[in-house]
Amino acid sequence: MKKLKVIIILMTVIFLTFGLFSYSWGAGEEEILVGNIQDMSAGTAIWGQNDTNGILLAAEEINALGGILGKKIRVITYDTKGDPTEAINAYNRLVDLDKVVAVLGPPTSNVGIPLAPIAERKKVPVIGDFMDERATTHSGGVWNFMFLTEPSCSEQAEIAASYALKELKLSKFAVIYNKANSYSVNMAIPFMAYVIKHGGEILITETYLFGDTEFGAQCTKIKNANPEAVFVPGYVQDNALIAKQLRGIGVDVPIIGNNSWYVPLIELAGPAANNTYFPNNMATDIPRFQEFMKRYEKRFGMEALIHALMGYDNMNILTEAIKKAGKLDPIAIKDAIEQTDHAGVMGRIKFNPQTHRPDRMPLIMLKIENEEFVTLGEYLPPLD
Amino acid sequence: MKAGLLLRNVKKELEVFLQQLLNGLSSGGVYALMAVGFGLIYNVLKFSNFSHGGVMLIGCYTAYFAFKIFHSSLFLTLLFGAISGGFCAVIFEKLAIAPLRKRNAPKVYFFVNSINGGLLAEYLIVATVGVFFHTFPDFLGTANINIRQISFSKLNLTMFTISLITLFGLMWYLYKTKSGRAIRAVACDINTASLMGVDVNRVISLTFFVSGLLGGLSGVFLGISYTIYPQLGKMIVKGWMASVIGGLGSLLGPVVGGILLGVLETFLTAYIGSSFTPILEFIILLMFLLIRPQGIAGIIVEEKV
Amino acid sequence: MSFYQGVIIIVVINVIAVIGNFLLTGMTGLLSFGQASFMALGAYISGLLAVKFNIPFPLAILLAIIASVFVGFIIALPVVKLRRDYFALTTFAFGEFLKAVLNLSVTITGGATGLAGIPYKVNIWIVLISLIIVILLVRNFRNSKFGKECLAIRDDELAARSCGIDSSRKKMTVFLFSVAITSFAGCLYGFYTCYIDPSMFGWTKSSELVIMVFFGGLNSLTGVIIGTTFLTLSLEILRFTGAWRMFIYVLIMIILIDFRPQGVFANWELEWTTFEKLLQVPLSIIKKEK
Repeated sequence: MKKLKVIIILMTVIFLTFGLFSYSWGAGEEEILVGNIQDMSAGTAIWGQNDTNGILLAAEEINALGGILGKKIRVITYDTKGDPTEAINAYNRLVDLDKVVAVLGPPTSNVGIPLAPIAERKKVPVIGDFMDERATTHSGGVWNFMFLTEPSCSEQAEIAASYALKELKLSKFAVIYNKANSYSVNMAIPFMAYVIKHGGEILITETYLFGDTEFGAQCTKIKNANPEAVFVPGYVQDNALIAKQLRGIGVDVPIIGNNSWYVPLIELAGPAANNTYFPNNMATDIPRFQEFMKRYEKRFGMEALIHALMGYDNMNILTEAIKKAGKLDPIAIKDAIEQTDHAGVMGRIKFNPQTHRPDRMPLIMLKIENEEFVTLGEYLPPLD
Repeated sequence: MKAGLLLRNVKKELEVFLQQLLNGLSSGGVYALMAVGFGLIYNVLKFSNFSHGGVMLIGCYTAYFAFKIFHSSLFLTLLFGAISGGFCAVIFEKLAIAPLRKRNAPKVYFFVNSINGGLLAEYLIVATVGVFFHTFPDFLGTANINIRQISFSKLNLTMFTISLITLFGLMWYLYKTKSGRAIRAVACDINTASLMGVDVNRVISLTFFVSGLLGGLSGVFLGISYTIYPQLGKMIVKGWMASVIGGLGSLLGPVVGGILLGVLETFLTAYIGSSFTPILEFIILLMFLLIRPQGIAGIIVEEKV
Repeated sequence: MSFYQGVIIIVVINVIAVIGNFLLTGMTGLLSFGQASFMALGAYISGLLAVKFNIPFPLAILLAIIASVFVGFIIALPVVKLRRDYFALTTFAFGEFLKAVLNLSVTITGGATGLAGIPYKVNIWIVLISLIIVILLVRNFRNSKFGKECLAIRDDELAARSCGIDSSRKKMTVFLFSVAITSFAGCLYGFYTCYIDPSMFGWTKSSELVIMVFFGGLNSLTGVIIGTTFLTLSLEILRFTGAWRMFIYVLIMIILIDFRPQGVFANWELEWTTFEKLLQVPLSIIKKEK
């Protein structure tokens, strides 16, 4: 009994001390609080950390110029571990306890989608990169407080498909995607639909699940189907493995990818990555990106990845909106965000009021050749 | 004419079959190595040690850093990973197992704390090294050996051979050395062994060290074949399944189980698709457990009255 | 619905799920690694009924629980006779199996892309009342004759059987009861987050539930409740530790388990008798005054 009492006391003490430390003391007079919800420690943590760095860079630049409306920005970041429940708690905490004026959101849809109805209820806007369309629209219309700042999954898939069909003149494809991941599924399906609609053929579809590391079985079947190209829209580590195993087994045809074929893919896959074409949100030899990357590298000592750009642009969009709104009222800020017409590093971002997604943002097609990225050009989502 | 076509088709099917078999053996080898390290602890302390995944993870990362700093060869890197795995396992033992043993905790708690141990390793890596992926360079080049239409990866072959050598080494150690015999004695009956003068505490730490060596080695293998990332430890689940299928009561069991699991998974994926594989795996597992619950190579541990 | 309410709702849903697990392991010694999959069943079935067929919230939950229990019955039938390790493995495999099924059935459940648009129906009162009902049910079950027989089975199955207790049947009943509770927790979860996808119910979640049972104490219902509350809340409270949050969280758990390997609360229960004793104190003072 005595030991039990000791433990209970210990637990309560731990509790209270930590609880005390964790209370965020609210906004100072000279501060604007912006929330940031990201995965910082689980499977997509690279994205979350990059996104956060991009946001911080933008905030620092703005603060150096005097801040917004005379106040400095302070970013409060919470880790979701990629878990929707954590994200919901984080959002509630940011809105109710920390009282942020807006939230910058994650680039994953499994977290974005549950935030939508809550943002609608609590009326604090969320700007993020959750590509699944259900995070920004629902059957009855648009989620008023959610904004997506990059092309959706299907737009990305269609850009890739139309490039493959029209520029590379390929028509017989194999597809291998992660059936347990909505990002992957939401690219595979529109890709296949577009190809079929334009007279191409899908010879074989293979799937894998999260955590799979052996693709020998699928690669063998793809090899035997003899496609002209293979579409591989997964997360970067799966893409690298599939590339290595496909090449290892003798499949040398072009690989068509998604925006998860960028850094650090070449480092992970080596020469197996060659002969891959994929749409990306950035390219190192286009001036506006180089400029950004220099600043980012100077500040963080690392190479900027696409999610850093997203965070950066999102923070800037928010800043413009707050300036336009003239006051720190989340609803006014939301209205101002809707009016955005921003020349971001990623491109021109202007929201379609019915979907809160950008109208026809371009992506850049890249090719991997000699273990380097080669820029092929900017492409818009096809209209047909 | 038709006979010729038929023969060619059969030959092609056979080649595909053999290729898949090789794929299966390659992943099976990795599972087997994991399972043996796992099974060793099970035999001695009678619980499923989920922290083995954490040991694999730490072994892999330390080997990676050793490589980065010293540019070691394949063998040295493996050695480094194995040894750091061994130490990691002992640290875990001191932190989470010894206190429980001292208090005569029920076996289940060892299990629970081992899960925590594995998680601790993962979160340690996330907090210190960070979440970016890394890879080992291609130690042996990416070229595959191609015999007719079937390709083996040189790396897989090397790893398979090293695993085999390690397993023989382990058997020699357990059966031919004094400390190995001590481990087997404790595995047989912990109380009697201590009555016979065996320093049980030391033996247990030793067992963890040996299992850690195996774990670190598996970790580096996984890192080489795939990628180095903090969730690497989660592969231990496959090791667990392999151990149970193969039979937990012996050393051979996990090996057989691992290879079988690898081959089974590959064939299931090849012939019915990866999405259906867990479904069939479950059904097969269920049938297995009902018909031969001691595992393939195992011995039924009779419940004592 | 403020932040604190949100946290309490999550804590209570977790507690209910853990109680389901506690019932199973505490009363039969069986370790289930697939509890998260029963949560998934509850969440998906009730969610689908609500979204596709517009079935009202309480009815959807009831139907989901019945369906889950039925599924639980089918898998438990062959398995309940197995040893503890094998039961754990089978429930784990079932969890993966269910995840695969969910991922495959894209047209019905949305597969990996998840089920969105579940109506938001859960508030703090529903959740607290559910908790109280579940606690009362479990407590009475444990104190009943049936419950005591189960404890006998857990401690020494061979001896219990030789006393004439039908262990398999009892284990099955307890398992089904625990499935019902866990799937109920799943339903509440679905109607709270309004979006569910298969990745939320994997074996990592199942193992979290198992760990929480052992942390709280295998014999103590109150212990499990307090323990789970403590753990879930610390997760939120530890946010300020930044990158080290999860590491510290797990470390605290390991140390507390080390220190107290029967679970923090071991056999202690918060009973009416405790309150009575507390009442005695002022009563006796008053009596003395007289």
